[in-house]
Amino acid sequence: MTPNTKIIACATVIEEMLPLIPNEMSYEVLDFGLHRTPEKLKTALQEAIDRTKSDIHTLLLGYGLCSQAVVGLRANRFRLIIPKVDDCIAIFLGSDQAYQQQSRQVPGTYYLTKGWIEAGDGPFEEFDELVNRYGEDKARWLMGQILKNYTRLALINTGQYELARYQEYARKTAQRFNLKYEEIPGSTALVKKFIQGPWDNDFVVIQPGQTVSYLDFKTNRSNP
Amino acid sequence: MSQSLVNAIIAMREEDALKITKELIEQGTDPFEVLATCGTAMETIGDRFEKGEAFIPELILAGEMLKQITDFLKPLLGDGKQAGDALGTFVLGTVEGDIHDIAKDIVAFVLEINGFNVVDLGVDVPPAKFVETVKETGAKIVGLSGFLTMAYEPMKLTVEALKDAGLDDVKVIIGGGQVDDQIREYTGADAFGTDAMTAVKYAKQWN
Ligand code: B12
Repeated sequence: MTPNTKIIACATVIEEMLPLIPNEMSYEVLDFGLHRTPEKLKTALQEAIDRTKSDIHTLLLGYGLCSQAVVGLRANRFRLIIPKVDDCIAIFLGSDQAYQQQSRQVPGTYYLTKGWIEAGDGPFEEFDELVNRYGEDKARWLMGQILKNYTRLALINTGQYELARYQEYARKTAQRFNLKYEEIPGSTALVKKFIQGPWDNDFVVIQPGQTVSYLDFKTNRSNP
Repeated sequence: MSQSLVNAIIAMREEDALKITKELIEQGTDPFEVLATCGTAMETIGDRFEKGEAFIPELILAGEMLKQITDFLKPLLGDGKQAGDALGTFVLGTVEGDIHDIAKDIVAFVLEINGFNVVDLGVDVPPAKFVETVKETGAKIVGLSGFLTMAYEPMKLTVEALKDAGLDDVKVIIGGGQVDDQIREYTGADAFGTDAMTAVKYAKQWN
């Protein structure tokens, strides 16, 4: 079965999948930066789907609903499997419920993982550039505005890789921007099931020729 | 319209913008015209942002600049804002679980300069808070902002909570992120908007 299954995943999500992907399974990684413009992400995903070889039966999309970027995607020759989550943070935490629980506890949370840190795309990395453009004072004021509702910087520990470097980065960043640093437990449960199956109610399964819709993500949830 | 004011705002020259505003007023320019000029500048910055030529910090800086200009102009506008009385009360907030607020602040600002009395509830606003505020203020229009797809659920719950409280005549418009007509239908809202002017358009229609 595995040789006929392929993965197309976001650069942040693949970090969590790599240690678990069997040798025979092929994968393709798409740029993390695409998430900033959902329309571009949609186009890139559809193109990646369209160039997938014909011996593939099942394509695993390592994404969530991601600002509806996956809505409208279709494949004519194979089925698509997508985790039934809003975005990658739920994937790292192991379930949608875990994500919502974290968000409810501390709504002002900015989440970090290895993938997010490596991509260097967050608001924290922009600070130095802001200092260059507007000077230290204005840059500080701007960061204050951007982060004014944030209280916690949470590093998700999925246990998949050596964390020390990222702990160091996250702790320093939290200190620099006056956030509370916390390490929260992640889980590989969803990623494992995504790669190995079974593709139950935790996944959106799109048969060949069908189109992904928003409601696919809202119906038949395992634990609503 | 003063092109030099537009240019100063677009170039993020805060002090110049305020100085030009003061000069315009001293020369006898109608404060409403200055306000309209600010609106034009904001639209231009919005366009640039969409094209990827300006970024979030520029939006925030522009917002702050415009706030200063309007604060200066307010006493000159009389209490009647645009034409006659304020157009009505608009309750606005980012829904529960979501704390993106840059866009919401812009929507609030644009509604205000277009003559609405905006009650801004901030971020992570639970449905009950919207209901309570609508009851207190007698507002007929509610705007829900949200950027996370997770926000569609609380949007839906807020629309339901308003109905459950017997506030059927209150109109709800949702906006932010990738909202579209399908999401509008899902949440039960009356309209959706992907920019601030759409909020103004519907609010005027419903007024
Ligand atoms: C800036 C930003 C942030 C800032 C927020 C700063 C702030 N104070 O608001 C920071 C960096 C802090 C941030 C944090 C997070 N973010 Co963010 N963020 C964005 C970003 C890049 C831009 C959003 C924005 O403010 N745009 C600027 C506005 C002005 O532009 P605009 O949308 O055109 O504005 C118009 C409309 O929105 C409309 N409008 C808005 N509200 C309303 C209301 C009504 C009634 C109407 C009619 C119209 C209307 O009018 C506006 C003016 O014309 C988006 C990506 C994107 N391109 O959208 C991600 C994005 C929204 N974020 C995302 C995520 C995942 C997060 C985090 C969870 C990340 C993390 N690692 O923790 C946290 C959120 C935590 C939380 N609980 O909310 C995802 C959401 C994915 C999803 N689940 O749906 C996005 C889509 C990026 C992505 N694809 O990954 N984010």
